[in-house]
Amino acid sequence: MEKTARGDQSMLPGAAEGAQVSIWKRIFGWSNFWILAVLLLLVTVFTVLQPQAFPTFMNARNIALDTCVVILLAIGATYVIITSGIDLSIGSNLVLSAVVSAKVMAWLSGTPAQIRAGEFPNQWVAIPIGIAVGILTGMAWGWLNGRLITGLKLPPFIVTLGTMTMALGAANLLSGGVSIANVPPVLQTAVGMKNLFGFLPVPILITALIAAFAMFILNKTRFGRHTYAVGSNTEAARLSGINVNRHLIKVYAVQGLLAGMAGVMDLARFNSVSPASHSQTNLNAIAAVIIGGTSIFGGAGTIGGTIIGAFIPTILQNGLIINDIEPFWQQIAVGAIIVGAVYFDQLRRRNRK
Amino acid sequence: MVRRHAKGLFAMLLILALALVGCGGSSTPPAQSGGGTPAPGPSGSEPEKKLKITLIEGVANDTFYISMARGAREKAQELGIEVDVQGALTWDVAEQTKVLNAVIAKKPDAILIAPTDRKGMYAPLKAAVDAGIPVILVDTTLDDASIALTNIASDNYEGGKEAAKALAELVGAKGKVFTLNTKPGISTSDERVRGFEDGLKDFPEIEYLGVQFNDDDTTKATSVTSAMLQRNPDLAGIFVTNQIGGMGANVALKNAQKADEVKMVEFDGGPDQVKALKEGIVQSLIVQKPLEIGAKGVEVAAAYLRDGKKDFEAVVTTGFVVATQENMEDPEISKYFYVAD
Repeated sequence: MEKTARGDQSMLPGAAEGAQVSIWKRIFGWSNFWILAVLLLLVTVFTVLQPQAFPTFMNARNIALDTCVVILLAIGATYVIITSGIDLSIGSNLVLSAVVSAKVMAWLSGTPAQIRAGEFPNQWVAIPIGIAVGILTGMAWGWLNGRLITGLKLPPFIVTLGTMTMALGAANLLSGGVSIANVPPVLQTAVGMKNLFGFLPVPILITALIAAFAMFILNKTRFGRHTYAVGSNTEAARLSGINVNRHLIKVYAVQGLLAGMAGVMDLARFNSVSPASHSQTNLNAIAAVIIGGTSIFGGAGTIGGTIIGAFIPTILQNGLIINDIEPFWQQIAVGAIIVGAVYFDQLRRRNRK
Repeated sequence: MVRRHAKGLFAMLLILALALVGCGGSSTPPAQSGGGTPAPGPSGSEPEKKLKITLIEGVANDTFYISMARGAREKAQELGIEVDVQGALTWDVAEQTKVLNAVIAKKPDAILIAPTDRKGMYAPLKAAVDAGIPVILVDTTLDDASIALTNIASDNYEGGKEAAKALAELVGAKGKVFTLNTKPGISTSDERVRGFEDGLKDFPEIEYLGVQFNDDDTTKATSVTSAMLQRNPDLAGIFVTNQIGGMGANVALKNAQKADEVKMVEFDGGPDQVKALKEGIVQSLIVQKPLEIGAKGVEVAAAYLRDGKKDFEAVVTTGFVVATQENMEDPEISKYFYVAD
């Protein structure tokens, strides 16, 4: 039971045959295979069409950098959606966390006069505290989501639709609605734009480490098993002794934590935060999860799939632009892939029954 | 069963991908065939590579930027330059950065861009400059615009002042007025508001109710305006800072049947706004010259790339015209109205 809820190899049609499953079947049945194939196809097509511009190290690195924030949010969204929940507030939570973080940094870095002059005497204290407070803000907001969903027994969609607007309102109140620009520039030079060993951007490294850790938690720990169990059958999970409400609160707090990290990362990269930005980021992250094969009905999904799902829209957009294609085609293409991915997910489920 | 369907899905995506790529392929040949018969370069007999520049709009679906793109294309054709136009689908730093990064990968000879944030777009644009691509700012600007060759824009502050004068005249220099702005933090519209507020200082009998934001959303612009009309039945006038706001405010005034009592001055000259001007819902439009901004941007690029000109003025302003119901048929005015394609 627990194994079928895992979502990986066990759900493929040939799995019942156990040890006799051929490698062929194992590869083709792997739930992420087709979506990985789509990714590789896109890369191949764009490489053939633009061999000079598309497959360069610089471009690949930029694509990865541009996808980092969405990946962080989508990792959290994978957990939430596996529990058959949803968190629409992640984009606003990101903005709120970044605004709080920026405010704290500006406040601790020096006197207002010093900061106006572009000096940040206490920045080495201010930056770590600002980062921590920003991440905690995100986590607190996620925890609040979890409390409201379990405490008021309201659908996650409704609760997070409400908290989405609230977080944006709070961010606008704190920032006066304008982008906050007095952030220590060293945050950008030492983190956001920093290339380790001359080639590896810090945000990509951080995102990769977090993704690996999230994969480990989901696959190898009790927390991960409980997440799948709650999503595949809440009642059964409760009867088997899982404190479902407490687990859900934790999952939403994790999602918030990741939104806080994404906010700080965004702040480090652009060295400013604009409340007007990220109005679509929540949907981009949810789309990545869906494209990556996580079932919106809960109980099944993988971090690996989500990461592939996050890259597809970015690569598609990048490649279309390099081929001088009108921007509106991107919307059509990404939308078609979402529908296709969900259709495939449905087929897989029907077949399992 | 699943495998067959999976293959179907895969095939569908493949077709989609190829179809999209096909679209791109068919849109490029005219430009390439133009370059196929190389005209002798200005410097001599050596055939010159056709210059390619990219214009990145602030947001892709706005007639102001569409007009700017047309201005750029027309000028480029005249000068034998190829222009590609790109833009994110929302006004968003992260989204615009993605577009910019893809454009950098293409290595155009120059980038014309309307940055979506004064500060946030600095680092991404610095990366373009570091990659050896000259950047020209059109419309919006950066706090530190020194990395760009120049910034070509309307004088938004003066435009705001002009709007204050026009609105004061319309309301008889007294009564309540408010500003309907788009999103906070956008250099151009913030300047308009600053100009408008400074302009109002000459009219002490006007009671200024401050700024309302519409998030660049027509529906929200309508509801905000309706609420302000409810709250202030004696409202005398509204200053709207851009097209989207104008479309919403026009609908709200029509619904409330207050088009006669409440006077409106709007920035921009989009098709909906021009229609509202004709109908008498709006009394005055402060129309920018996006065609000129686009054309000048291409001229600057050409001067830099071909003639080796290095020194440009930091800011080049294009003016604006004030359109009213009386003068709107005048071709000297109407030629500045924005185009939709």
